Amino acid sequence: MRSRVALRLLLHDRSSTAGSLLGVVAIVFLVGQQLSILFGLLNYMSVLVDHSGADVWITSARLRNADAGDLISGRYLERVMGLPEVQWADPLLLANGLVRTADGSFEAVRLVGLRRPRLTGGPWALAAGEGEALLDLEAVAVDRLDLGKFGNPALQRVTEINGRRVRFGAVSSGARAFQGTLVFLSLDKVKEAAATPPGRYSAILVGLKPGVDRERALARLRALLPECGVFSTPELSRRTQLYYLTNTGIGGSFGFSTSIAVLIGVVIITLTMYASVLGRTRDFAVMRALGARRRDVAVVVLCQALMVGAVGIFLGFLCLAAILNATRGSDIPSYMPASVPPLLAGITLLVSLLGSLVALRKALQADPASVFH
Amino acid sequence: MELQLEGIARDFWDGRELRRVLFPLNLSLTPGELTVLAGPSGSGKTTLLSIIGLVLRPSEGRILLDGREVTGLPDDAAATLRLSRFGFVFQQPLLIEGLTVRENLFLAVGIQGGRITAAIRGRAEELFTSLGLQGTGDMLPAMLSGGMKQRVSIARALIRNPAVILCDEPTSSLDAENGQVVMDILKRIAVEEGRLVVVVSHDARVFPYADRLVKLENGRVVADTRPLSEGAEAGA
Repeated sequence: MRSRVALRLLLHDRSSTAGSLLGVVAIVFLVGQQLSILFGLLNYMSVLVDHSGADVWITSARLRNADAGDLISGRYLERVMGLPEVQWADPLLLANGLVRTADGSFEAVRLVGLRRPRLTGGPWALAAGEGEALLDLEAVAVDRLDLGKFGNPALQRVTEINGRRVRFGAVSSGARAFQGTLVFLSLDKVKEAAATPPGRYSAILVGLKPGVDRERALARLRALLPECGVFSTPELSRRTQLYYLTNTGIGGSFGFSTSIAVLIGVVIITLTMYASVLGRTRDFAVMRALGARRRDVAVVVLCQALMVGAVGIFLGFLCLAAILNATRGSDIPSYMPASVPPLLAGITLLVSLLGSLVALRKALQADPASVFH
Repeated sequence: MELQLEGIARDFWDGRELRRVLFPLNLSLTPGELTVLAGPSGSGKTTLLSIIGLVLRPSEGRILLDGREVTGLPDDAAATLRLSRFGFVFQQPLLIEGLTVRENLFLAVGIQGGRITAAIRGRAEELFTSLGLQGTGDMLPAMLSGGMKQRVSIARALIRNPAVILCDEPTSSLDAENGQVVMDILKRIAVEEGRLVVVVSHDARVFPYADRLVKLENGRVVADTRPLSEGAEAGA
């Protein structure tokens, strides 16, 4: 009966219920949208690492993030391949470059040099062209969302990187980075364009044989290459994301805006629920006079908060899904890990209950004696 | 059920000093009677009714319900006792807007989480019939007239078959005709159903219904009479 009373009061007090719902929807939508952008950016930060297909990354020592390593010797490749746990190992070379665009201006890019023919660490999804295109020394691949920066060139259109002739051979998809525009091309072309020292690479990507003990293999690689940084792919991904999150102000910025969204939601919920209870003070006093205990009044108010929370969360996620769907495939980074919605729902429900506390206090103050004239 | 008040008094803090609004009084109320607490405004009759209904604690004295002292019951225990043994009819009907008439009745049963059984549903229909409220169960209170609302509040007071019905100026917001209907019902509840009914009123139209008339002035009982039996004796 108490939950029915709660529901009936909510349905009757439509304007304040709508206000409270707005607060909950605001929390879910604003926080969810902020988080989806944050996770989208986090994906951008570690996109090369996450999609490399490697189990282990070997880099220079004391690496802060995947993009800030010194070049390491290519001789490590043979030493790594000597381990029985290793199935394959390929070098990766990262460098900076300037691409001449269609209108003659230049676009700064991050060159990702891949060893042919395996092209490990290369584009993992293509929007146009063939993956084999990069087997050609002059071919490059850029992301479909970055094409505009180069003047939307057609496939096979010739241009220059650092003054060296290249062709747009393929268009990648989902290969955008936080650090700059990624351009995939052959390792030899990067060496030539960026004039890197011969036989030196940014990283060696290692694939382990199926079924091997990964921790043991990592330990053996670390023992074999004490002068290098040896990371599992998830480890390097986390390290890279954490670096950018804590050193670029992104973490603080998103944390602040998320807190503001929560705060706005809490204030809306608090004010509307308080207004609703204020208008119902006499009713709560009647309930108390009829025999409701304080805890029964609390059950009614908290039921209201939970109902508003549940419906608001549902509506908020509907709005969020709509906006995520609408921006999918656009140049707005957005990604929502599966673990986040339940967490967001739980926190929002908690916040709804917190927002109802002021109203609850008022409801509990309802004096049963006040109903006698 | 017998209700005894022994040396009941009540003080209020008026912001400057402690003011006594009810001086020590003894009162024994028995079932099957309609007792009217009468007196001018400020005489202490509503305070006394609130104390009888365990809504207000007395500053002095004891309240005994069937010989058991209930004066200092904790808040929750007093609420549970109110729910199970008392029915209230207020000056205004004070129905909960947003709940249907039927739900307003069920509120007085389920507010502590109790289930609404088939017996309770049957009792509600019975009350609708006996109080002339047929067809109003699914209506919202806003759709009813003042007199009907007050009858609904009487039904709400009766839904749990309480032993004690406490009414605070139940006719003051009603016209003469509706006031008479309400008092007829309360009289029937007291006499025919053997309940203890206490009505606070300063409305002289109520007095003829009183089996017992307790008059208060300035917080003191100034008269405690049984007008009907005395009238009968005088007539005899």
